Amino acid sequence: MRLGRLICGDIHFQWKYGFYFIYFILTVLYVCGIAALTGYWKTDIASIMIYSDPAAMGLFFMGAIVLLEKSQKVLNAMVVSPVKVSEYILSKTVALIAISTVIAMILGFVSGSNQLLSIAVGTALTSAIFTMLGIIAATKISNLNQFLIVIMPIEIVCFVPPIVGLFVKLPDIFRFFPFTACMNLITGKNSLLSFDMVLVIATLMILYIVARRTVRHMWKSLGGVKI
Amino acid sequence: MIDVKKLYFSYTEKPFVEDVSFHVGRGEIFGFLGPSGAGKSTIQKVLTGLNTKYKGSVKVAGIEIKERTNRFYENIGVDFEFSTCYEKFTARQNLAYFASLYEKQPRSIDELLHMVGLENDGDKKVADFSKGMRSRLNFIKALVHDPDILFLDEPTSGLDPTNNRLMKDIILAEKKRGKTIIITTHNMFDATELCDQVAFIVAGKVSALDSPHNLIMSRGAAKIQYTYYDKGEKTGECLLDRTTEDKLLKSLISENRLLSIHSSEPTLNDIFVDITGRTLQ
Repeated sequence: MRLGRLICGDIHFQWKYGFYFIYFILTVLYVCGIAALTGYWKTDIASIMIYSDPAAMGLFFMGAIVLLEKSQKVLNAMVVSPVKVSEYILSKTVALIAISTVIAMILGFVSGSNQLLSIAVGTALTSAIFTMLGIIAATKISNLNQFLIVIMPIEIVCFVPPIVGLFVKLPDIFRFFPFTACMNLITGKNSLLSFDMVLVIATLMILYIVARRTVRHMWKSLGGVKI
Repeated sequence: MIDVKKLYFSYTEKPFVEDVSFHVGRGEIFGFLGPSGAGKSTIQKVLTGLNTKYKGSVKVAGIEIKERTNRFYENIGVDFEFSTCYEKFTARQNLAYFASLYEKQPRSIDELLHMVGLENDGDKKVADFSKGMRSRLNFIKALVHDPDILFLDEPTSGLDPTNNRLMKDIILAEKKRGKTIIITTHNMFDATELCDQVAFIVAGKVSALDSPHNLIMSRGAAKIQYTYYDKGEKTGECLLDRTTEDKLLKSLISENRLLSIHSSEPTLNDIFVDITGRTLQ
């Protein structure tokens, strides 16, 4: 099955380009940080760490991955192969979900959380959403500086309300904000079968449709770029 | 294998490729020759299904390109002029990865590496490869899924004379195996040696289309040029099939007064300049 082989290829790519090494170092630092905290703080800080890093890694890493593929002109070879746009997106998403979820589970376990299933499901879905955002952003740009500028407002919008919401009560309108719903899933505040889950899945589906369009457009207008 | 009829394509309102028609049979090598920006790459992009908003008919392996599915790519291999490999993967890892994207049984990676003289470099990272090595790796990457149709963009560019010869021999061997090959090149000598048919592309139009031999012969026969001494060095010229009619040459030969003599025939490059009024190399 080609999707499976693509996923293996993407995991291999991330390994060779040092993504896993970076995350090994970060995970060790996070684990040390969580271990140093006391009871009440542990789970909330762990949730923030999981949300803002392993779950959101797709936003940062997709930019690096797509820019590397553009600069090495690998995409030129990809577009004249039988690989479909959907397979290209899904393989990268699954590869990133896998590492995100493993790291999130480690952080959740170290924090002493009893919501490991919720952390795993919430991280997987949040990671998929951020990967879609990363793909959409990366297809539109041609160098790392542009990418950093593009993702800055995305980070503010996606990170501030959910993190603030852990400490203060947000206005009711934020019940419909998908990223607050992502955080709720990760913290296990609501059951997995909740409105939050529906909102997150709906957001993911919309972003997937947009990502397919932007990748298809990128494949049709390939050009040389430098990272 | 490839049938193009009245192809029109444009990026803007102004036509970029106009009224292009040609046919390539199975097992033939067809060359696109022309200066940069003439439309060669655009035609190749249409043939490989990347530009589908064209007018006219473009059939590759019996499939109208506008209606192609992703399975179409199972049977075509594209060798770009630039490297399209993952730099941090080894040559072998790149070949294995790209082979895994196809359903067809891949060719032996060891045999392919051996074929282009990279058998001792299979486990080196592509980042450590020279330009010529990348070019050879890129070429076998296009072959790894054993496609029926090959698109080669400047396949001998950046190669030293030995590897240039090797590459041309491999292309001819692939033709013998029944592959249909489309070559885009600036190199008239390679085109003359490799191609069954060539098309001169200038400003998006086909200026001439025939076998290299026919094109050369249609524009004049071979000549003899000679030099001799007569109050200073002088040069004479006559057609190869009219040597007996050149009285001066006959007398110079009988008097042993020739300083030099050599034959020359027009090259494909001369024909290109003659037909299109443009230079290529």
